[in-house]
Amino acid sequence: MIEITLEVNGETRRLSVESRRLLADVLRQEFNLSGVHIGCAHGACGCCTVHLDGKPRLSCLTFAAQCDGKSVRTVESVGGVGADHPLQKAFRSEHGLQCGYCTPGFIMTLIPFVEEMTAERRMPDEEEIREAMSGNICRCTGYQGIVEAVRKVIGENLEEGAQA
Amino acid sequence: MRPSEFEYHKADSLEQALALLQEFGDEGRPIAGGQSLVPMMNLRLARPAHLVDINGLGLDTIEKKDGVIRIGALVRHERYLAEPLIIDNFPAFIDGVRAIGHPTIRRNGTIGGSLAHADPTAELPLLCMLHDGEIIAASAGGERRLPATRFFEGAYMTVLEAGEMIVAVELPVPPASSSGAFVEMAERRGDFAIAACGVTLEHARGRVTRAAVACSGAGQTAMRAPQLEEALEGLELAHPDAAAAIAAFTETLNPPDDHSASADYRRALVGQLTEQALATACSRAMEAS
Repeated sequence: MIEITLEVNGETRRLSVESRRLLADVLRQEFNLSGVHIGCAHGACGCCTVHLDGKPRLSCLTFAAQCDGKSVRTVESVGGVGADHPLQKAFRSEHGLQCGYCTPGFIMTLIPFVEEMTAERRMPDEEEIREAMSGNICRCTGYQGIVEAVRKVIGENLEEGAQA
Repeated sequence: MRPSEFEYHKADSLEQALALLQEFGDEGRPIAGGQSLVPMMNLRLARPAHLVDINGLGLDTIEKKDGVIRIGALVRHERYLAEPLIIDNFPAFIDGVRAIGHPTIRRNGTIGGSLAHADPTAELPLLCMLHDGEIIAASAGGERRLPATRFFEGAYMTVLEAGEMIVAVELPVPPASSSGAFVEMAERRGDFAIAACGVTLEHARGRVTRAAVACSGAGQTAMRAPQLEEALEGLELAHPDAAAAIAAFTETLNPPDDHSASADYRRALVGQLTEQALATACSRAMEAS
């Protein structure tokens, strides 16, 4: 067993983990963060994407033992129970989800992309949006609704910035 | 699935990592980005008893010296896309890096990991062969320099020995009048390719003076195409018609025949991709000169 300290969504905890335990399982089982979804458990679907020290990372390809002293954000830290982050709202209004299994992964993958585009003050073309989300698989929407959601939220951000 | 049991060791120095790898022999594996090794472990295709975490070792610089660009084993793929030493010297390499997995994998995966994993159609093994790369492997006993063309023994098999670890890759700096391109075909964006081809050219007065061609999908490892390379010498950049030489090359191939593609399809695909990569490399050379 390995002793590690993890800061997850603002809560710091010391815990003892078996070397082989995946970060995804530790987040779900020790931290009760059921928004971390496990689809394929081998890095093909993107459902388990979380932020590790601020950057998207597949938590199924990460051993918790490797994360000592690191900071983790899961979808629970975004928009709370009401899921009211602008990107989450846009997913709802643009039919960016149906069953919802892949959604937390898409949200965690796309938030930094939306922030980057907003900071650069530009609307990405469809190809760029599809490349940004290419590591996430959705079996319900056919992706077009997700592309629309990303476009909508970046459009809103750019408009807000233009008024400010 | 979940990995079988192992012991985790975080190395604080290269010396410590190499000592641990020597101690564990066949039972030990270094882990860096984990983008290839952890899927293999989750599927239990790999069951190392010891993992030596090398993420803290540095080994992540890209520097130019003595006519080579040296890339540390822990350089993450996305770094190349903003690195002038790579952008300015290796256009084919940049094309290839864009085709690696997807953004999250490119942010975490390392060159050492990709080469050691040796997927038959992964981009970096092909690119290192194409650019006459040398792979530097270290062990407690010292260093070995291994030409990329002799590094891969088969699918997921390399000449690395127990206790050895990749520490860097060196690519010779090409002359100023050079060009290149890489093209691949995959079933879905970010998947491993069915086949891929990279071409580099040196040129003078509108003609190719030296060419390198590397392709994957035609065998258990990526491969160079020496006869085709020779045939491309003298080719006019403005009329890169090499269909006959490419056909002569693909006829010699004996690609795998499986559920994702037949041998005939792969042979034809390698030919098409080679034509495309060559055409792009030639037009880039024309633009630059």
